[in-house]
Parts: sequence; C-alpha cells; structure tokens
Amino acid sequence: MVDAVENGGDAILHFDGVVKRFGGAAALSGASLTVRRGTVHGLVGQNGAGKSTLIKLLAGLHRADEGTIEIDGKAYERLTPHLAEALGIHFIHQDRLLVPTFTVGETLFLGREPRIAGTPFLDRAAMRRKAAEMLDRYFGLQLPASALIADLSAAEKQIVQITRALIANPKVLVFDEPTAALVRREADLLFRLIRRLSEEGITILYISHYLGEIVDLCDTVTVLRNGRDVATLPITETSAAKIGALMVNRAIGELYPKPQVTPGETLLQVENLALTDRYDEVSFTLRRGEVLGFTGLVGSGAKEVVRTLFGLDRPTGGTVSVKGEAVFATDPAKATAKRLALVPEDRRRDGVALDLAVTENTTLASLGRFSRGLIDRGAERRQTEDLVKRLQIKTDGIDALVRTLSGGNQQKVAIAKWLSRQSEIYLLDEPTVGVDIAAKVEIYRLIGELAERGAGILVLSSDIEELLGITDRVLVFFRGRVTREFISSETSPDQVLTDVTGAHETLRHAG
Amino acid sequence: MATASLSAFTRGIGRYALVAALAAVFATFAALAPGFLSGANLVSVLVNNFALLAIVAVAMTFAVSAGGIDLSVGTAIDFASFAFVSLVLAGQPIPLAALGGLAGGALVGLFNAVLIAGIGISPFLATLGTLFVGRSVQQLLTNGGNPVYLPPAGVPEAFRFLGHGSVAGLPVPLLVAALVIAGAWLVLSRTRFGRVVLATGIQASVVRYSGIRLSRVTAATYVLVSAIAAIVGLILTSTVTVYIPSSGNAFLLNAIGATFIGTTFDPHGRPNVPGTVLGVLLLGIVANGLLLSGLNFYWQQVGTGLLIFSVLAIGFANRKAAARA
Repeated sequence: MVDAVENGGDAILHFDGVVKRFGGAAALSGASLTVRRGTVHGLVGQNGAGKSTLIKLLAGLHRADEGTIEIDGKAYERLTPHLAEALGIHFIHQDRLLVPTFTVGETLFLGREPRIAGTPFLDRAAMRRKAAEMLDRYFGLQLPASALIADLSAAEKQIVQITRALIANPKVLVFDEPTAALVRREADLLFRLIRRLSEEGITILYISHYLGEIVDLCDTVTVLRNGRDVATLPITETSAAKIGALMVNRAIGELYPKPQVTPGETLLQVENLALTDRYDEVSFTLRRGEVLGFTGLVGSGAKEVVRTLFGLDRPTGGTVSVKGEAVFATDPAKATAKRLALVPEDRRRDGVALDLAVTENTTLASLGRFSRGLIDRGAERRQTEDLVKRLQIKTDGIDALVRTLSGGNQQKVAIAKWLSRQSEIYLLDEPTVGVDIAAKVEIYRLIGELAERGAGILVLSSDIEELLGITDRVLVFFRGRVTREFISSETSPDQVLTDVTGAHETLRHAG
Repeated sequence: MATASLSAFTRGIGRYALVAALAAVFATFAALAPGFLSGANLVSVLVNNFALLAIVAVAMTFAVSAGGIDLSVGTAIDFASFAFVSLVLAGQPIPLAALGGLAGGALVGLFNAVLIAGIGISPFLATLGTLFVGRSVQQLLTNGGNPVYLPPAGVPEAFRFLGHGSVAGLPVPLLVAALVIAGAWLVLSRTRFGRVVLATGIQASVVRYSGIRLSRVTAATYVLVSAIAAIVGLILTSTVTVYIPSSGNAFLLNAIGATFIGTTFDPHGRPNVPGTVLGVLLLGIVANGLLLSGLNFYWQQVGTGLLIFSVLAIGFANRKAAARA
C-alpha cells in the first residue's frame, strides 16, 4: 500500500483549492487533498478545521464556492448524494440515521431492492441470501436479515452500514469518526476489516480524532487546520505527536509543557501492595512536585492499584502511607479525607454529574468548606468563578448544566472539584480520553501547574507518548506487577511499549 | 446568547404554568362553587386539605430528590399514631408520648434505610415491602385491625392541642405545616445535606466518587422522610382521638402527585419544596372546590388525575423546548 503512494498511484479523489463559506465565515479557505487509489488516507484536524465540510462537499450535501473536486480524473461541479453514490463513493458515519424499525435486510437493500424478475414484487429470498452472504463473508457474522435495527449494538449497526455500502461495489469508502461509539475490541475488528477492504482494492478515506488509530491504519495523512491543508505526509515519516503538533500549530515540545520541579517531601508511599488475582508486590513513592506515570494493558493491575488507593477496592496485603502516616482507605470518603483525589476514566458516569450545574459539581467534594449550617452561596460561586477562570473552562456561566459543556471542559470541571477540595495527591485515570487536542494540551499544562504548586500527581494512561511527555517517571505494569520503571525524559515510546506488551518476558524466556 | 434567553423564557413559562393552573382553578371555583370564597371555607381548605398533605408531600420530596420514592409514608404515620396513643393510654405524659410517636414513625424509616442503603433493594420495592409488612404488623397489634380509642373522659386537653389548638389565632396544624415547609426548604436547598441528597438523585456514582458516603446519605434521607411523616400521625391522632390501623396510606398518592407536579416549578425539573407546596395547594383546592360544586364524589378523582396529567404535560413540553433551545 505504501508502494502505491511512492509509485505515485493515480489520484482517485482530488480536491484543489476548495473554498466554502457559510454566511461570512469560511469553513474551508483553499483546501487541497489528493487521495491515491488503493490507499488508506487519514484526515485529521481539530473541531472546526473543516473536515466535515470537506466530506459533505464530497457527498454532494454542500457545493464548493471555489476550487475543483475531481473524482477518477473527472471534475464535477454539481455533485449530488445520488451522483456520489453512483460514482462509487460511500460514507460510513456513526450518526448516520438508520431507521430503527426496519430489519437488517430492508436496511441493506433500501432504495435498490432486488425484484422478482418481470414483476414489481420484492425478491425477499434473494435479499435474505445476499445479506447473509455479505455479513458472513466480511464479518463472520450470523446476523439474521430479519433482526430489527433497533436491537443491534452500535458496532452491529456500523457493520450493517458497511455491508450496505459493500453491496454497491464501492470504489471509495469514507469513514467518519467510526470508532467513537465502539469499545476497544469492536474497534480492533473494524481496523482488521478496513485493512482487508484496502487489500481488496477499495480506497479508504479515514477521519478520526484518535491519532493512534491514524498512525496504525493509514498510509498517508492529511492535516487540516483553519480550513486549509497544512501537511500531507506518508505515515512512515511522522508520528502521533507530530500530527498532533501540526493540528494545533505548536512545536512538539509545547504539546507537552512539562515544568522542571524539584521533588519535595514524600506524599504517598506504597509498599508491597497486593490484591489477590489483580496485582502483587506493588511498591512506589510519590513526592511533592512529582508526576508519576502508570501504564499497562487492560488487566495489568495499573487501574486496580489506582482504585485501591482511592478506597474503591480493598487490598489483601501491603501498606499505603500518606505523608508518613499509615492509611487504610476502605472507602473514597477516607481517601479524600487524606487529600487524595481521583479523576475517574468514565468521566460522564463517575467524574461529573451531567445534570448538576458547574457550581454544584465544582463544590460537591468540598461542601464542608462552604457551609456553616447553611451553604454560603456567595463563597461557593466565588470559588467556582475563580476555578473557571484559572482552568479556562468554557461554559455559558457557572449555572449552566455540565451536560452542555464539551468533553474537555467537563474533564476540567472534574479536576476543578478536587482543586476546590484542596487535594494534594491527584490520581488521574486516562485524563485525556475523548478530549480534543487543544483541551489535552490545557490539561497537560494544568498537571504541570499542580506539580509546581506542590501536589503529587499519578497519571494512568495508555497513551505512552503522552505519558512520557508529561511525567517524570513511568511504571509499567504487566500481569499484576511493576515490571519496569523508566525515567521519562530518557525513554522512547518503543522502549515502554516492549514492556507494556510483555515482549521482554518472551525474550527473557526464550533467551 | 439568543438561545440562552429563549430557553430562559420557555423555562419561565414552565414555572408560570403551575401558578397559572392554581390561579385558574381558584378563579373557576370562586365563580362556580357556592361558598368557596368564604373565609371559613378557605381556612378549612388550609387546615383540612392542605396542612397534613403538605407535611407528607414535603417528606416525599426528600425521597424523590434522592432519586427514590417512599411508598411507606402512610406506615410511618400509622406507627407514630399507634405509639402515641399507646403511650398516652399507658399513662405517659403527653410530650413524652409525642416524642415516642415520632420515634415510632422514624423506626419505619430505619427499616427502609436498612433495606435500601444496607442491602441495596430499590427504594420502590423496599418501601412497598414495608407498606405490606407495616399493614400486617398493625393488624397483629390490633386483633385484626380494630381501632384504638382514647376514652373520651380520659383525653387530656394537651393531647387535643396538636389537632385542635391555635396559637395567635392560627390553627396548630397549619403552623406546624408552615414550620415543616420552611425547615425542609432550607435543608433541601441551602444545606450540605440537601445538596448531597439532590446530587445523589441526579447521579449517585459521582457522589460516591466525590468521597461522600452514599449509604449514610441514603439512610438519613429515609429516616428523615419517616420522621416528618410521623408528625402527621401525631396531629391526626390528636384531631380524632383514635388510632385507626393503616389509615395513613390515604395520603400516599396525593403526596406523590404533589411532588411530581412540583417538579415543573424548577427550571431543571428537580423536586423542590416550594413546587411541592404549590402542588398540594392545587390538589387541595380542587378537592374542596369539586366537593362544593356538588359534583359526584366519584368524579373528584378524575378531576385530580386530569390536573396531574395537564400540569406534568405542560412542564414536560417546556423542558423539552428548553432542552432543544
């Protein structure tokens, strides 16, 4: 596939100097994009960079104000959704509407139902046969054609969409944020499928927020920023960090603003901590001003240790002490009393209450500070306003429900809650998952600022590049044990990855 | 900003709907029901149709705020009443007997707390179970449900004070209701406990992850609900000088209705004490007005049901509009 790029395989899609304005604002201001036949082409950019406008132009949903769009070497001035499909361009969109009360079979053949020869009647038998054949061939899936769309999981609905596109023998498949609603395992299946479709000669245009996916999957990536293409690179010559830096127009160093802090007293000391069947012999210390990273696969024990520290699980052995004092946190209330804070991975379930206001969320863990019998609402509002300003939380005001905030800003509220509590030990579990790149950088900066102010921070992340960029040290968990400790500034992601996947274990056994 | 002011406007209508319904119902009965506007009748509405239900509904508001419900408020009323009457019959001084009554009611809440916060049964099923168990226990205690009378000669004046007394010309039940309403409003909207109860009802796991002991909050909520309801048991017993087994359940459905009608009074549809009080007032006026209009008794419940539907429908439509804006 990389060969195709290097050999300059012909362009199946070619956008040249495309401009699209909505009212006064230009969503695209001279964007160019060339997708070569048979490649997997990634398209990335922050929200508002122009990705979806570009895709809508291709789908014939909007018309360009300036510039040309060529498909298979032929320029089209008046693309319509129907024409785009006729030219073999199909779109897989997570939010694409499927009629919930239709069956799988009806959905697959909607608008192009096979008929019994010479009659106006639908050939249901043929529909069933063809649907079953396609689903089995590409997905190894026995999804009955009579199943209702409403009963399918997000992944199955996506499969139906893809199958529907495949039935039409597509030339180009456009995936728009396809993994947003999928769990990890489902996403892996999707990636395998995309590689296979690519081998079968279908050109893929792949749009995603997740730069890791782009790097794994694509041959070439184009970065959009402010309505223009700022770079098109072969994937072999770039990395997720470089792509991220291009998206936000910052140098890589600025992406991970890590201040130099001299560590102070020991805040947290963990010795031989164990939880049967989860982890064993876990020992480490966390000092003031330090940012410590945890990483490991699912089930490696890293997340379970964090849960234990916050009192969510009880350890079966070992000791934890905070500032030299032994602590046995049997519930989060005891942990928070020791000034521990947890920013949980499932932010929308455990981190913030979506239907409480920004104020109510911010002070939820520290109401004691604001109440003498009655809550001092003035003090509560002042504290919230301070934190909104300090964390640059974008909200319609402190009385807005947290539901109305973007993912990154919701995460900042989850952190603000602990700043209000004046916590000293921060446990951050995947703090930047589902957060756009600009908000990520702000969260990194905030972590650095907390360290400067003397907090101890423990970050659990599966994004190793991020982890190395923002921490002082990284502990790698493998099968319930800390197998390696790295000094972040002296380590490359590949070195960590070897330990995360346990490759060194295999080597050791083999050697 | 335009969308913000639009949603504020529609929410404004949502709050206005409940007050408007109240005004409309009041005006209708003032015009149609003979004697509705008389001073004596209005006082009777407040004492007979409002005060006791308001106390129960305010109690219910706590349970609904915490994301639950308490179907056993009637049981708490009955247990309070039974304990009160029994202690008086046993010759205990009235204030002590009254305290015993409150404790008897709170005991029901403690039982709920164990089921809900301790064992983890859903509030609906736990309190439904308590309702059934409470009914049986009362039948066992009273030889199959016989009322327990206080001998007319032996009823001390102090006993009748809660039900029949007045302070500065105001009937005691109404005063007690006013105190309960004011206290509950402060607790629910202005204290740490109230805030945590509200947060529990909205997203319990966040409360737990914020380092707050969820089970304690839940337990305290259900004990409080029963303790407030127990006050009604005392007033009721004092009014009629008799304990009638399982009579407290009469308040249950109206209390739930008033609480949910009251949610339309909050911009975010949260249960709230002022809304609940308006809901009780609405139900009370309708019950009294329909009675005075000479409408067949059996139609009264239809009227109440229609009222609940319409207020909730308006509130829901407005919230949806606000969400869309």
